[in-house]
Amino acid sequence: MTNATLANDARILDRIIRFVPHVVLLGLLIGAWELGARTGLITSIMIPRPSAIGGAIVKLYVTEGTIWRHFFVTLTEAVVGFAIGASVAIGLAVASSLSEVFKRYVIPYAIVLNVTPGIALTPVVIAWFGYGMGSKMALAAILCFFPIFVNTLTGLVQVDEDREDLFTSLGASRAQIFAKLRVPSALPLMFAGLKIGLTTALIGAVVAEFAQATDGVGVLMSRFSFQLDMASSIATLLSMTVIGLMLFYTMEFLDDRIVFWRRESRRAAASRAAARTWSGQAGK
Amino acid sequence: MVAIQSPDAATGNATDAARQLRNRRIATHLGIFLAIVLSWEIASRAGWLDPLFYPRPSAILQSFWLIYVVNGNVWYHLGVTMSLVFAGFVGGSVLGIVLGSLVGLNGTLRRFLKPYVIVLEATPRIAVAPLLIAALGFGVTSKIAIIMLVCFFAPFINTLSGVMNVNQDKLELFRAMGASKWQILRKLVLPDAIPVIMAGERLALTAALSGALVAEFIQRDQGIGSLILVYTRNLNMASAFACIFTLTLLGFLIFRGMEVLDRTIAYWKHEEGRTRVSARRRKAMEGQS
Repeated sequence: MTNATLANDARILDRIIRFVPHVVLLGLLIGAWELGARTGLITSIMIPRPSAIGGAIVKLYVTEGTIWRHFFVTLTEAVVGFAIGASVAIGLAVASSLSEVFKRYVIPYAIVLNVTPGIALTPVVIAWFGYGMGSKMALAAILCFFPIFVNTLTGLVQVDEDREDLFTSLGASRAQIFAKLRVPSALPLMFAGLKIGLTTALIGAVVAEFAQATDGVGVLMSRFSFQLDMASSIATLLSMTVIGLMLFYTMEFLDDRIVFWRRESRRAAASRAAARTWSGQAGK
Repeated sequence: MVAIQSPDAATGNATDAARQLRNRRIATHLGIFLAIVLSWEIASRAGWLDPLFYPRPSAILQSFWLIYVVNGNVWYHLGVTMSLVFAGFVGGSVLGIVLGSLVGLNGTLRRFLKPYVIVLEATPRIAVAPLLIAALGFGVTSKIAIIMLVCFFAPFINTLSGVMNVNQDKLELFRAMGASKWQILRKLVLPDAIPVIMAGERLALTAALSGALVAEFIQRDQGIGSLILVYTRNLNMASAFACIFTLTLLGFLIFRGMEVLDRTIAYWKHEEGRTRVSARRRKAMEGQS
């Protein structure tokens, strides 16, 4: 066995050992909870037993499978709303970065939109776009607009001046400066905004479902809560966590791939690939 | 915000020109705003926009007059919502700061709590609202619980990261001079963390307002959220918009208020606060000598 694999094995073992206390703690917590509920120390109507929640999860996801339709409805609402809100936000941010005048006259309205709690628009949006998925997408789009707009605009405007001088002295055109300097330096901030926007879009979809809807995990959740079926309600809440994690990690993955130069390892991989291409060309 | 910096100590001509430019810009802003409002009004009167769903600006103005002066019913609901927001915000952010500093200072606690924090962060917190209402019943308790939950996280995470990112050199200096744990916390860690904590508080306050609105949408009894819901259900869109614009104004005041608070508490972050405090100190010292 070589040294490298030995070190590798040790690292994996180390990780497993570090993982054990977490699992033990979680097990103990759940055990104590279950015991407390069974002995009557915790009122099990309000705070359901872990086993009841487990049963509800199995019922909702596997045996009856009722949650899947609602799951995909909410996911679609959040993603489509996010796509609409993000496109408008990025479009306006790009336009504002290109034209000083446009920026001056758009920003006050963006600020007004930001200080208004977007959630207050829920009833109005439902009256405008109906009880279906349209109103949820609209609210998701409204809620995710501002963080994306502000971050993209800040990224596009805050460019290192030395670099800009270098670009202009080398005779770069406006289009070249935009595409090769402004956009790349704006990407990290833009992705930070997109990540925030994605979570707020999910909140928008769920809140609009609370207010008025027929499908979606938000509706399911308030229905279960008001039937005092707390176990199913918590199981539904977990589905929102899953949607949130899915969306967040998708964005994280895209961030990692597109803004590769921020990560050491990805930067090294990219430069290796570039070196290979160049040496191949030189050999010809 | 687009701020125009007037050149310091420049000639009178230059400041005059700057003032003229600013006046002209303000006039253009107003002109554009009026043009939008007027075209909305005209479109509505000409029948291109259905006034049932898209209320006319003049109707919204009328509603402002109606709900604030003639009926005066909005004051009560505004008061209810604002006291809820205040109570929940104070509770949630105190809890967030205390727990955040505890977790930030204790490495073991941090390691064990991290996975739960990640899971909780991914869950839309407002979604817990129906659960809390079912568990705590209709009324003030569940509303405050929702607001506390919604505004707990930003102060918690920010306090945590603020406390953890202590300048190591300063920490070593404190230790070398024999500072006690409490002194390190009070004189180094917390002051260093305050700007980050304040940023968290700002997020928390906006979240608190949203949390209160969601709680009121679900309970539909009193407060500005229920008022908006009822007006919209009755297709009294002009009054609903008057309420929403009220919230815009409120949001603006909150925003400004937090900025002022930030300048007072974390004064060393801002130039003028720094000079103000050092001038006061100097005066006190001179008085003593």
